[in-house]
Amino acid sequence: MEYTSQQMMAIALSKEIKDGKTYIIGTGLPLIGGALAKHTHAPNASLLFETGVIEGNPPEVPKCVADLRNAYRASVLWPQYRYFGFQTLSGKRHYIDAGFLGGAQIDPYGNLNSTSVGDYHRPVTRLSGSGGANGIATWCDTVIVMKHEKRRFVEHVDYCTSPGWVDGPDGRAKRGLPADRGPRAVITRFGVFRFGEDKRMYLAELFPGTKLEDIVENTGFEMDLSRYVMAEAPDEETLRILTTEVDPEHLMV
Amino acid sequence: MSSKLMTAEQAISRFVHDGDCIALGGFSTNRRAYGLVREIIRQGKKDLVLESGSSGGDEDMLIGMGLVKAINVSYIANAGYSMVCRRFRSACEKNEILFEDYSIDVQTIAYHGAALGLPYVPIKNMLGSDLEAKWGISEEQRKSCPKLPPVKFIIQDDPFHPGEKLCLVPCPEIDVALIHVQQASPEGICRISGTAFQDEDIAIAAKHTIVSCEELIPDEEMRREPDRNMIPGLCVDAVVHIPWGAHPSQCAGFYDYDPQALKLYDECGKTQEGFMDFMKKYLPATHEEYLQIIGEEHLNTLKVDPELGFARALQRK
Repeated sequence: MEYTSQQMMAIALSKEIKDGKTYIIGTGLPLIGGALAKHTHAPNASLLFETGVIEGNPPEVPKCVADLRNAYRASVLWPQYRYFGFQTLSGKRHYIDAGFLGGAQIDPYGNLNSTSVGDYHRPVTRLSGSGGANGIATWCDTVIVMKHEKRRFVEHVDYCTSPGWVDGPDGRAKRGLPADRGPRAVITRFGVFRFGEDKRMYLAELFPGTKLEDIVENTGFEMDLSRYVMAEAPDEETLRILTTEVDPEHLMV
Repeated sequence: MSSKLMTAEQAISRFVHDGDCIALGGFSTNRRAYGLVREIIRQGKKDLVLESGSSGGDEDMLIGMGLVKAINVSYIANAGYSMVCRRFRSACEKNEILFEDYSIDVQTIAYHGAALGLPYVPIKNMLGSDLEAKWGISEEQRKSCPKLPPVKFIIQDDPFHPGEKLCLVPCPEIDVALIHVQQASPEGICRISGTAFQDEDIAIAAKHTIVSCEELIPDEEMRREPDRNMIPGLCVDAVVHIPWGAHPSQCAGFYDYDPQALKLYDECGKTQEGFMDFMKKYLPATHEEYLQIIGEEHLNTLKVDPELGFARALQRK
């Protein structure tokens, strides 16, 4: 069965979503992963959007968090400040299982850059900025989607927009951040990566067709590649749902 | 109450001044006040300080036209159609504007604080990141721009929870808020459908608020169902009737985003020349002429399906 790496990533993303739990959905591929989860194993998962859309059920692929499609059959449309209050309280009360993030650069501890490449004051490439990413990374567990390239998987990010595990097991507590929250997984075209007890990224699942050398060649830091399992190739039914029900316009997959 | 109904030309010339701190409503590609922004550009109001939140092409146009001195920003893109607004990107890379980064949660909470009349908000967001460590605008640079707070924030111990840190973020002093709503009355009562984002807060916090609306509704009719109204005329200085005033962004209950227009803007914005050509074509003397250029037939394809809440079968690629 033919499938693309985008589709494999969307399926891996959807598996991070558990039925009956609540997730913050950002732009891009997480929108597809979230919709796929609701079409398959997690019909009762709740999706939140930082614009204030609570429990949205987009019937078409939304282009962004502010898209009118997200509000379809939502429970409430809150003004933004109420949503951010809820997100802050979740830091203590676990209302939110995880938020989805992306970025231009990531380091071994899952610190993310979505602000600028090069010197901050005179950037080589200026990006869109934090959006809501910093607040999500402050208060919630996160699942991160990345393009897996050497220039993006770097020892040190040029600008830390969203703190991950900062610099190790006590990194978050030292900076005044909730210590029991942080990056849970990183999903790329090569596989799923998680964080060990030292809070460094390691390979947890290798996607079919990927070689370990692909990861070594495209990663700019030392990574533990010794304890992974092989991920299963997507089944026909999931691919059918993904391409005919979730994203029939092929906007993202 | 007396009518605040006026033309965009009158409203902008009366309430927006060079050097003002302005805040625009909406979110990225949803309910941005494009009609009012085009009038700011026509009148060339300059040295603006933008309280940006999550913004899009409207603020990018102000930057591209050289009208912005400084921006407090957390996100600026026509999300889904551009990774980052290109005139903003170019202005940062060429050092042409002052920029300070926050996170949208921080700006939203600070705007809410401003609407509550608070001087600052104590938060934990930004701690441990470069939003804390790196300041886009130094204390020295801030002295030359009195509309900016003298510091980005102050880190302080939490007096009620010893050992915990807090980030004290100053609430902005907004001179003018500009928002586009679905319905407003001549006295300035506003009704927003769909997500309200932070429009209510900036409208209350600002010294002056200019509202553009899809539909003008008699005051008496708005007062029949006050629970549906969000902003009273007490907080509004000018009401401008601008149908399609958020185009090419969305307006709940009325129209979807315009994928064609957003893609064209992204493409043209790659260079300053391309951007200026775009503005020459799409910034005619009046809003009526603008709508003629976009074309009625095309606009009709963007109208939302009342059952779905968005346009059916819109070509979005």
